[in-house]
Amino acid sequence: MGDLIVTMEHIDKSFPGVQALKDVHFELRSGEVMALLGENGAGKSTLMKILSGVYTRDSGSMHIFGQEQGDLTPRQAQALGVAIIHQELNMCRHLSVAENIFLGREQTRLGTLSNREMEQEARRILADLKIDLDPHKVVGELPVSKQQMVEIAKALSTKARVLIMDEPTSSLTSREIDDLFRIIRELKAKGCGIVYISHRLEELKYIVDRVTIMRDGQFVSSMNYADTTMNEIITAMVGREIKEKFPRVESKPGKQVLQVRNLNAGRMVRDVSFDLREGEIVGIAGLMGAGRTETTRAIFGADAKQSGEIILDGKPVVIHGVADAIRAGIVLAPEDRKKDGLCTKLSIRQNIALPNLDMLCNRFGVVHRTKETAMCDTAVDNLMIKTPSVDKDVATLSGGNQQKVVVAKWMARNSRVVMFDEPTRGIDVAAKVEIYHLMNRLKQQGMAVLFVSSEMPEIMGIADRIIVMCDGRITGELPAAQATQEKILTLATRFETKVAAAANQ
Amino acid sequence: MQAKRMNPLRRFFAIRGMGSAMIAFAALIVIYVVFGLREPNVFSPVNIQNLLRSMSKYLIIGIGQSYLLITGNIDLSLGSVVGMSAMISATLMTHGTNPLLAALIALLACLVIGLINGLLVGKAQLPPFIATLGTMFTARGIGYMINGNRNTDAIASGIGKEAGDAFQNFFYYGRTLGVFNTFLVAVVVFIIFFFLLSKTRTGRHIYAIGSNVDAAKLSGVSVFATTTKAYMVSAFCAFVVGLILCAQAGMGNMEAGNMYEMYAVASGVIGGISPLGGTGLLLGTFAGAAVWQTLENGLNMIGAQVGLQRIVIGVIVVFAVLLDVVVRRGTRKRIK
Repeated sequence: MGDLIVTMEHIDKSFPGVQALKDVHFELRSGEVMALLGENGAGKSTLMKILSGVYTRDSGSMHIFGQEQGDLTPRQAQALGVAIIHQELNMCRHLSVAENIFLGREQTRLGTLSNREMEQEARRILADLKIDLDPHKVVGELPVSKQQMVEIAKALSTKARVLIMDEPTSSLTSREIDDLFRIIRELKAKGCGIVYISHRLEELKYIVDRVTIMRDGQFVSSMNYADTTMNEIITAMVGREIKEKFPRVESKPGKQVLQVRNLNAGRMVRDVSFDLREGEIVGIAGLMGAGRTETTRAIFGADAKQSGEIILDGKPVVIHGVADAIRAGIVLAPEDRKKDGLCTKLSIRQNIALPNLDMLCNRFGVVHRTKETAMCDTAVDNLMIKTPSVDKDVATLSGGNQQKVVVAKWMARNSRVVMFDEPTRGIDVAAKVEIYHLMNRLKQQGMAVLFVSSEMPEIMGIADRIIVMCDGRITGELPAAQATQEKILTLATRFETKVAAAANQ
Repeated sequence: MQAKRMNPLRRFFAIRGMGSAMIAFAALIVIYVVFGLREPNVFSPVNIQNLLRSMSKYLIIGIGQSYLLITGNIDLSLGSVVGMSAMISATLMTHGTNPLLAALIALLACLVIGLINGLLVGKAQLPPFIATLGTMFTARGIGYMINGNRNTDAIASGIGKEAGDAFQNFFYYGRTLGVFNTFLVAVVVFIIFFFLLSKTRTGRHIYAIGSNVDAAKLSGVSVFATTTKAYMVSAFCAFVVGLILCAQAGMGNMEAGNMYEMYAVASGVIGGISPLGGTGLLLGTFAGAAVWQTLENGLNMIGAQVGLQRIVIGVIVVFAVLLDVVVRRGTRKRIK
């Protein structure tokens, strides 16, 4: 192992309403591959964005190649030799492969772009990486895996000595992963330091030298990969006690309400089948990008599905769009309240009435004001939405109360299945408990409740049954009584083995 | 492992935006021939001359607006800056200022508006529609006030007949090698900004921020600098057209350049410049301006009403954007 090339100490970073990083330490040596591990929201990406100049830290110190660094811009970080491959693809779709690789550092002669030189250079970099791509190709026309390779080529072309890869393999094929691992080994031999963020724990053994584990925005531990085991790593990742109280309500699950059979919708929902019963709460657990949100959206008809059957109360239902699902009694409270769940510039009344206008209007399309008021008042009372009046803008409500309005939209109809996508994200503890009570109430009323959550204690505390997804497939199902965080995480990282070929090297 | 090289023709069409630019050129030829068959005078050398001169203004402002459209923005102040340029230069000349100096002062004023647009959109991150709406009114107001809320006298009254004629000939009435100077000015502007957009770093960054502003930022591209440069280009183009209008009238007209910002959008969009940013070639803008002027010219020659001309332009603009949207949707599906 070489010298320390990156040292970050006492790093704090907060965003409005969240402390993303608290007193975090991080070290990287030359010639090593450091795996940065943690659950969703542990702060891995935030920490690396600080190192690469995308975010600035609130406090703490950062040394790169022994030199103390102030706040960096992406360009300064690049100049220092720090390159990052972002998790979400960051390409200009309209530009060519070569143009993207050299974006921001175009070579010029007398003010004129040296296109030929840049293309040759791009060709050389791609050939080095054994990527079969024409530098002329427009990036937007490439498949996602190839775009990812372009992103990697772009980072490498900066001659970076610190290379950060945030989930680089998530969209690669097994051959491309082999290529990537080969490239990583070569870079390591040249003395580069590589930070490797991945949820695919089974990949680690092929390339990783050390691991750093983070949890809830804090540093947990750092060790040599050889000195630890997968179980130890998983325990360190999840190892928090369940502090919150979860008000569980027991009720006997009744007859089957919803059956989903062999649902396929794009890459993120593959052959998904499960059942929901009356008076039951089912949680869907999984890592980010496991296809949970996509599954709920496909059932709700918000996204197109390729195949599969949805059976409600024993009868197949055809869902071509959201309107079909609502009419059938299947509703969704989406993940991003502000973007998908509410019209934030409208009042509570307008939001609640919106999906129910068919029931509130007379045949000339005029809204029946008294009916509307009655509906909204009932909803506000039932869900205990704290507001002086239904005519207040929803934007003035707290996160928890906004979430209740989202649910209230659906309560006026006799819905059979209520799906929640991350219902407690970004709301405080007290409001969370109210949401749990709300789900329990729906359950007691005999509805089937499905909810997606990234917080394992919450899923284990509220759900009667837990479905675990990974990479678009259901990888397991656990009754709440038998579920442990370790079991869930093991299922949630059960990727299809893409790296078999790499193992043979 | 090297990917196969494409043959030259395919490479030509692989240039982004070339497809839509070529469609616009094809449309141009069809429109021209159709009108020519109905009214042979359309083919006459005199008419071709006039056509080239009348499209020049729309080409120049189209170039300016195309820069903004490619960055995913818009410049509504363009037409008002045209008017401001005409009014400032004409007013100064009626007071005897040397035409060169008058033009220089007008240029500076126009560039200040461009800079303000850049600051508002690139730095303060105002929606470009609103920011440039503000500068649109402001620039028009300045144009009004320059000569005390009235049109100027003939420029010859200040700088003398000889200099006045020289100015008018240079920008409008004169010819060089048998071609109207106006068209030659447009060609020079075209070549300069074609080069800037396709061959320089600034040009590359203009496409990049229009394509994906976050990716550009993370690659170290300055969004502020790039946006500002685009607005300066647009202001410069407006300045040139202001001089042309001033030369054409021989005086400053307060309403000069009215609606030109919209004509400029039409020129660009007909030529395949995407109003959503990221794609388009100035070659397309050239074709777009020509398509429009050929249509107007042709409809005029066959005696169609002005109303009909406007309707046809309206339909063509919408059709061109519809084509862009459909094509984009198509590519996105293929990627999925």
